[in-house]
Amino acid sequence: MFEIFEYEFMQRAFIVGISLSILTAVLGSFIVLKRYAMLPDALSHIALLGVGIGLVTHTSPIYIPIIVAAIAGVAIEYLRYKKQLYSDAILSIFLSGALALAIILINLSDGFNASLFAYLFGSITAVSNEEMIITVGFTIFGLLLLLGSYRKLLFVTLDEETAKASGIEVFGLNLMLVVLSAITVALAMRIVGILLIGALMVLPISTALLYKENFLKSLAMATLFSLVSVIMGLLISFYLGLSSGAAIVLVALLFFIVSLFLNW
Amino acid sequence: MPVISVQDLNYQVGEQKILSDISFDIAQGEYVALVGPNGGGKTTLVKVLLGLITPNSGKIKILGSLKKRFKKCYKVGYVPQNVSLFDSNFPLSVYETVALGLAGKKPWFSFLSSEDKEMIEMALQKASITHLKDKNLSQLSGGQRQRVMIARALVSSPEILILDEPSTGVDIVSQQKFYQFLKSLNIDHKLTIIFITHDLGVIADDVTYVLSINQKLVFSGTAQEMLNCESASELYGIKSHVVGHHCSSHAC
Repeated sequence: MFEIFEYEFMQRAFIVGISLSILTAVLGSFIVLKRYAMLPDALSHIALLGVGIGLVTHTSPIYIPIIVAAIAGVAIEYLRYKKQLYSDAILSIFLSGALALAIILINLSDGFNASLFAYLFGSITAVSNEEMIITVGFTIFGLLLLLGSYRKLLFVTLDEETAKASGIEVFGLNLMLVVLSAITVALAMRIVGILLIGALMVLPISTALLYKENFLKSLAMATLFSLVSVIMGLLISFYLGLSSGAAIVLVALLFFIVSLFLNW
Repeated sequence: MPVISVQDLNYQVGEQKILSDISFDIAQGEYVALVGPNGGGKTTLVKVLLGLITPNSGKIKILGSLKKRFKKCYKVGYVPQNVSLFDSNFPLSVYETVALGLAGKKPWFSFLSSEDKEMIEMALQKASITHLKDKNLSQLSGGQRQRVMIARALVSSPEILILDEPSTGVDIVSQQKFYQFLKSLNIDHKLTIIFITHDLGVIADDVTYVLSINQKLVFSGTAQEMLNCESASELYGIKSHVVGHHCSSHAC
């Protein structure tokens, strides 16, 4: 049974998957409660633009998507908070604009190839040592920031206006949340895939919310659902030769459906 | 020294004046009703006092400090409008919600100390909701949620409490109980309370000071002076007559 861990690529996939499952669950919890569930989808398509730039310019497939997604995250939050534009409209504009640009850039490069397929749907063999180190380091950094600002961020998530009135730096915290999400999405696209990362951020907390517990319990449940989904998804992917992103998301979806019936 | 001092306050959006040349002082321990017609600028004035809106001109002092330099925001508690309309699916217990009131005061990477937990228990007690502390917000009535939001505002030991139409969506019996509770906070804890209301009947008996806003400051003074028909007529732009009796008054 443990022969799976004899493969280095599986060790890397598990380390990255477990790191990201915790970070996406925590970030996803705040994002869903802010009614911002479209954000990961928009950011993942923006990360695809980064992949397109990387393919055309033959530059780093790791760093360019991270940089592009983070810059777009800042722009999205600026337009939403400072310019008071509707968040769903901004996300839709960024999503379609980034996708259109990405398609053109991919056309300009070698076109649709196997490596792009791995970016879209995730692949357990795709994670390099460098990506693993960056992902684990960033997960620790992200979780520390979220832990340090937990109560302030929760207040902002519940009620931005009252949070601001009590002296909390609302824009800064929102910006932190969006940029952390952008970088997480860019890192997770290798293993979960651009088209499926949004589901991994939204499904665990949506499942946890069905149990109507308080915030801390909901957060713990979301993290557990996410962790188990990723581990089971990776095992399924390895043994059945399926796309890792699809397997992970289907397990998370299964948890949601079962919980829905349990709490009907 | 007044706890709030406003001088020559002006705020406009484009060409439209929202607040014009407003000046007033509020002393410590006052129980103040902010009244006026819809669109008269009451909520805008509250948002300016809270620092949520920057005025075009004017000087505001909170607890002796200029608003621009006022850093102890937790000294001013705020309960927003339409508390009962908060997302009922938001997974927060009463205890967690009240603890949020300390978030503005606490630095990053700090957890609840035993002193903080005591303050939360005291705020729950003041709002008479200790028995609800483990319930989720979704399990509470509109009136109970209102008290939770007040407890959240009280937990940081504010000197001023500002409430925006606190009785919206609450039935008449609960309204009376709610205002009695608010008055007891004012008397027992010497808390300066400012609340927006449309209900002139509510303000008559208990409030110590009334501010009437209709873009300009139409009236400031005691409730009894407010019961003068001319003030009410000027405020609402219609002929009105205020009837006062032992437990309430109303404009007609």
